[in-house]
Amino acid sequence: MKKIIFSIITPLILASAAYAADSQIWGEMILSNIKAYGEVSSFSLGPLFVLLQSAYFSKIFLVVVLAVPTVFLLHYLIIGPKVFSHDGDKIYVFSLFQRIIHLIAAVAFLILIPTGLMIIFGKYLGGGSLVLGARYLHGVATLMFIVSVIPMFLFWLIEMLPTLDDIKWVFILGGYLSKEIKEIPAGKFNAGQKMWFWVASLGGVVMIATGAAMYLQDFNYNIAASFGLSQIDFLRASALIHNVLAVLITAFFFTHAYMSLFAIKGAIHSIITGYKENDEVKYLHSSFYKKLKKQGQI
Amino acid sequence: MSSEQARMKFYCDNNRCIECYGCSVACAEAHELPVGISRRKVITLYEGIEGKEVSTSIACMHCSDAPCAQVCPVNCFYIREDGIVLHDKEKCIGCGYCLYACPFGAPQFPRDGAFGTKGAMDKCTMCAGGPEETNSEKERHLYGHNRIAEGKVPICAAVCGTNALLVGDAEEISAIYRKRVSSKGQGA
Repeated sequence: MKKIIFSIITPLILASAAYAADSQIWGEMILSNIKAYGEVSSFSLGPLFVLLQSAYFSKIFLVVVLAVPTVFLLHYLIIGPKVFSHDGDKIYVFSLFQRIIHLIAAVAFLILIPTGLMIIFGKYLGGGSLVLGARYLHGVATLMFIVSVIPMFLFWLIEMLPTLDDIKWVFILGGYLSKEIKEIPAGKFNAGQKMWFWVASLGGVVMIATGAAMYLQDFNYNIAASFGLSQIDFLRASALIHNVLAVLITAFFFTHAYMSLFAIKGAIHSIITGYKENDEVKYLHSSFYKKLKKQGQI
Repeated sequence: MSSEQARMKFYCDNNRCIECYGCSVACAEAHELPVGISRRKVITLYEGIEGKEVSTSIACMHCSDAPCAQVCPVNCFYIREDGIVLHDKEKCIGCGYCLYACPFGAPQFPRDGAFGTKGAMDKCTMCAGGPEETNSEKERHLYGHNRIAEGKVPICAAVCGTNALLVGDAEEISAIYRKRVSSKGQGA
């Protein structure tokens, strides 16, 4: 526990020490920062950031936040959920460790996404301590995500590698466009889950890195220079990447939640108890089911 | 006066700036800025190269199309009728977006939040305070001295020994500069 506390506090102390020692933004570096804004040879990240942040990001997020749930509502009303018996046999799919790590990530996301949206739509909340609190909470929840992302990436990595099933799955959109219950080509995880896994883990690490850069702002670990950027350009790039990835992650998160809560009735129980319904595995993860049968595990 | 609305601008005549740091020091003193924050800075280009060395003083330029105001997620900026760009520190969440948008590196963030996190943004107010009651204790504490309300020139320009730093209506500033250039037959 002591180690964890130290590992959290040390970067903060180092950051403030680095700040006090030599500012990468307002010290002697100010010239290269100013020159980076609109120089022909620069990446013009300044004007690009102003354009996207002032006119596009909040609108794109509004579309995602409204359109994705609307599409799912229509799906629920027109096609309806897949219902599998919860009284039959169950198959043990998630160990206790996996469930705990997933729980930490789930709580982190339940904080990260609403607080992130609060920052994006801050002007409609009047700014001030409410949105400032959301920004701080966004940072605290990141610590929870940091704890969970590495073990989650490692214990699911092998099963998340792409297979031929995934191509077939994508072509029929996982069978979610029909009411018929038939065998869907998928291993332990289907192509949709795999996409979410890669976006959330690799994308998540990028989110942590870009978020940390914006949080610390004025630091000098020769990171910006190694990218050939001035410190402010590095921060601009971080903000751009953070926002673009956030659109993707938010859309996937809504999908993940809809699938587990509504689209497949009661599917969320597998990550709570560790047991998945026999039929759910048999039809929605048919290749995995066949493999288990072959190994005589069911 | 032209038909255009008066717009307050800074201009630093770099033929006159002698890199004395008077503006920067006077600003920090007048507004009682914390250590590490300097709203106005003097920068020198081509330092030590004869004939090329040039100094100038920069702070918030109070842009007409202020990019900081465009990107602020909480809309804490407001532009006065005379063009001075100000912001509300009690709305600001210290996200830093205004710094990314600013071509001049003007917004600064004192580390006064919990765990040394960035606090509310601080920048040049052209000595015009903030949204609080004019000349109140609170305005002075958050934004510094409101000299404009007292009918005084911003302190940086007021103390400039060589009259390099000019402040006022954009039209008048350009008229002064035009006169200087034409009488000397050089500059600009």
